[in-house]
This record gives sequence, C-alpha cells and structure tokens, in this order.
Amino acid sequence: MAVVLSATIDGGQRKLRRDGSFGYVVPALLLIAFFFIVPVLVLLMRSVLEPAHGLQNYAELLGSTTYLRIFINTFIVAGLVTVVSVVIGFPVAWLLAIMPERWSRLVLAIIVLSMWTNLLARTYAWMVLLQRTGVVNKMLIGLGIIDKPLALVNNLVGVTIGMTYIMLPFVILPLIGVLKSIDPAILRAAALCGANKRQCFTRVLLPLSLPGIAAGALMVFVMSLGYYVTPALLGGTSNMMLAELVAQFVQSLVNWGMGGAAALVLLVVTLVLYAIQLKFFNPNRAR
Amino acid sequence: MLLDFEKLGGLRPFLIGLTVVVCLFLILPIVFIAALSFGSSQWLIFPPPSWTFKWYQALFDDPRWLYSALTSLKIAAIVTVLSVVLGFLAAFGLNRGSFIGREALRALFLTPMILPVVVLAVALYALFLHLGLAGTTIAFIIAHLLIALPFSIISIGNALEGFDKSIEDAAILCGASPWEARIRVTVPAVSHGIFAAAIFSFLASWDEVVLAIFMASPTLQTLPVKIWATLRQDLTPVIAAASTILIAFTILLMVLAEFFRKGRKA
Repeated sequence: MAVVLSATIDGGQRKLRRDGSFGYVVPALLLIAFFFIVPVLVLLMRSVLEPAHGLQNYAELLGSTTYLRIFINTFIVAGLVTVVSVVIGFPVAWLLAIMPERWSRLVLAIIVLSMWTNLLARTYAWMVLLQRTGVVNKMLIGLGIIDKPLALVNNLVGVTIGMTYIMLPFVILPLIGVLKSIDPAILRAAALCGANKRQCFTRVLLPLSLPGIAAGALMVFVMSLGYYVTPALLGGTSNMMLAELVAQFVQSLVNWGMGGAAALVLLVVTLVLYAIQLKFFNPNRAR
Repeated sequence: MLLDFEKLGGLRPFLIGLTVVVCLFLILPIVFIAALSFGSSQWLIFPPPSWTFKWYQALFDDPRWLYSALTSLKIAAIVTVLSVVLGFLAAFGLNRGSFIGREALRALFLTPMILPVVVLAVALYALFLHLGLAGTTIAFIIAHLLIALPFSIISIGNALEGFDKSIEDAAILCGASPWEARIRVTVPAVSHGIFAAAIFSFLASWDEVVLAIFMASPTLQTLPVKIWATLRQDLTPVIAAASTILIAFTILLMVLAEFFRKGRKA
C-alpha cells in the first residue's frame, strides 16, 4: 500500500515537474518581442541611419538652442510638478496614515476615482476652468484679488496645475505606506527626551519618511518627463515638452531620424532615473 | 505625538483643512464637467443659465461620435480577452517556473508601463506603416494590448501568489490531468484576480489616448481620439457630454472592481 502510494506521488511529481513552465510565457514574450522590443530598437537605429549614417541627428538635437530650450523646459516642468506634488501630497499622506479608517477610506476612494477618470476628460476640465472667462478667473475677480483675468492656460502655469492634479495620487498613495510603517514610539521617545514638536518633525518624522518622499518624487519626475497629452493641451507653443517634440518630428515633419534621436534621449533619461529608483528606493527591498 | 491622530494638537486642523482642499481639487473638475454637460451655455459659463440635454442629443445625433464609441468598446473588449488569456499564461509561467532569467522576464513584461508612451507609440506607428497595418483595428488591438498586459500579469500574478499550489497537486494526484486541474481548480480559485485583470485591461484600452492618436485613421478612431481631435478645434460642451459618459462608465467599472475585491475577502 505504502509502495503504491509513494509510486503514485512520485509519478505525480514527475508529471508536475515536466510541465515546462517556460512554455506558458512564450505567447506574451512573442508579443513583447515583435511589437515592443523590435520596433523600439528599429526606431533607435533609424536615428543613426537616417538621413545618412552617423550621429548628425544627435549633434543637431543637442547643438541647437531651440531644442535645448525644449529640454530645459521639460526638466523645469517635471521639476516644478514634482516639488508642488510632494509639498501638497506629504501632509495629505500624513493625515491619511493616522486618521480613523472610515474617513481615510473615503479620501482614498476620491483619490483612486480621480486617478482612473479619463485623462482627456480631466485635462478638458482644466482647459475650461482656467480659460480667460473660466471659473477660476471669475472667482479671483469676484473676490477682488485681481482686476483683469490672468493667463492661466497655454503657459507654464496651466501645465503645472494640470499635471500636478494628475500626479498627486502617485505621491500620496506610496507615502501612506511609508508613514504607516514608522513606529509612533520613536516619536514618543523623542518627545520624552525633550524634543519639541518642530524638532520631532524635522529631526525624526521627516528623515524617517525621506526614502518614501524620494521614491515618490522620482516616480512623478520620470512620469512627467514623458507626458504628452496634458502639456500639449494646457501648455503653449513656447513651452513645448520633449514628448511633444518626438510626436512633432514624426507626425508633422515626417523626420524619423530626428524623431528617433529625440525618443532615445527621452528613453535614456527615463531608464537611468528608473534604475536609480530601483537601486536606492525599492520599497520591496527596504523591509 | 505627531503620529497620533488624537494628539496632533494645532496641526490637526491644518492637515484636515489641506486634505479637504486637495479632495476638492481632485473631485471638483470631474463634478464641474458633469454639471456643464447639462448646462445650456455654448460658452461653458458656470453656473449655467439653464439646464438642458441638448449636448447629449447632439452627441447621439452625430453618427461619428457613436461610431467612435462603438469602436472603443469593440477594441477594449477584444483587448480584454487577449490580455486576460496571455496574462494568465504568462503569470502562471512566471509563478511556477524556475527557469533562468525569470525575474528579468517579469521586469520586461512590465516595462511598457514605465516607458514613455510616446516612444512606444511612435515606434509602433513606424512598424505598422511598414507592415501596411496603420489605421487598422489590428494595430489598435496590438498597441492597447501592450499597455493592458502588465495589469493582467500583476493582478493574476498576485492572485496566483496567494493560491496554495498543493490543492492543484491534490487534484492531479486524484487523477485529473494537469490541464483539467488548472481549469477546474486553479482558474476558479484565482477568479478574483482574473476579474480584476479584465477590468483594468478594459479601462487601460478604453482610456488610452496617446497610442490611439498614432494608431487612428480618419475613418477609424476611438472615443478618446475623437475627443482629442474635437478639443484641438474648440471647447464645445459636446465634449463635456462625451467626457461625462466616459467618467460614468469608469465609475461603474471601478464599483465592479471593488465588488470583486470584497468578494475575495468573504
């Protein structure tokens, strides 16, 4: 009986082991290989092959003041959005981490809902809200803060408002976890040792949450760098971003060499920052 | 002290006030668009002088809006099915396999999520031009599938992670073939992950703009592309009506997703 049973188990295990798990991954792998890796590599190759072999596309991209201004603008917008998102997002995450659960669930529902609402619908909302005759300008005039309507769209202000709106959840959600994992006893200890509230914040709470802040900030920065729709609709022609430049080269100028080169720049910056995030701020490895 | 809600002191009203403002900041534009879609003013004046359904009427009277909505639905439905099937197989292989490069492969499957979408869109556009597939439904499906697949792999992968494989082994030892065991034991056990994968894949395709802009042709465009093209001309309230329908649909799916998440706990 025992022999029969163990033989069955052996046979069963052999059957389980022979199933060749790699085979299951193949369909998805083929899809990724043909429609992701190959096209991206071809695009990058075209940047050094068209119109002639060599690096002239990169030389033009990095040598011209027009394109340089676009690079700088991309970093300014991404940086601005990151700073504003963190400054606003940190206190919200802090409160969410410690408030009673029935309230925090309501706030979380609002955050998740806004995150999943169609990007174009949300961007459209800001185009309408921020226009010259829009609600924001009317309110500011009504309150007597300004006399003449402010230019809030088609410029840096519009892009920053619209993108901060989109990025805020990406700062708040990961920060809640980081703040929740801090032991309140550490702060009690600091208070017992004579630290006042401000010292507790700047010397204990802030340093302990810094890895989370850095990770969230880096993520928002990386995402902002490659954004296309919101800057295209809320930004002006004078403050174009890198993603728009890639699209413009391909769509209106049909210049695949330059488009590929601009895409490579965007890709490399993104991957480098992403690698930094994985190496230094990987939340899975921290605990 | 700082991490105790009851003992925050003067900080508490500050944090609560700021959070309320942020919530309003996040939710009001959505409510505002929904309200304006029923407003009578062509110039999107708020509050509107009177209420009307005329923008919805204009939306439904224009066959192009309806056609693009149907296109969106069709593409999202096909993408959902493909994404769930491929995602299940991939997550299964990654979960069970011990082959070399498994972690690298997992990372590779998730890269379409972190890569700037414009780069992927432009690269795919070049490929489809070359293959003569530009502006076809197939191009849309493949592009959207690349974006949806990571959601499936994550959702189903998490569900498989929490599933005790010995139950499947038991079925095999009781005489089921490996496939029989998987379909009749494993798939039902991880069904909450599969539903989540389906909903997120659908939403990823339904809401996708950047890829769709590049995949679209004048005769074939999804609802977001139609909104995008109209937005570039003017801010007509018809877009508010279309956006409101998009938002309502998203909320419905979110509620469904929440329902399935709760179902797992019970």
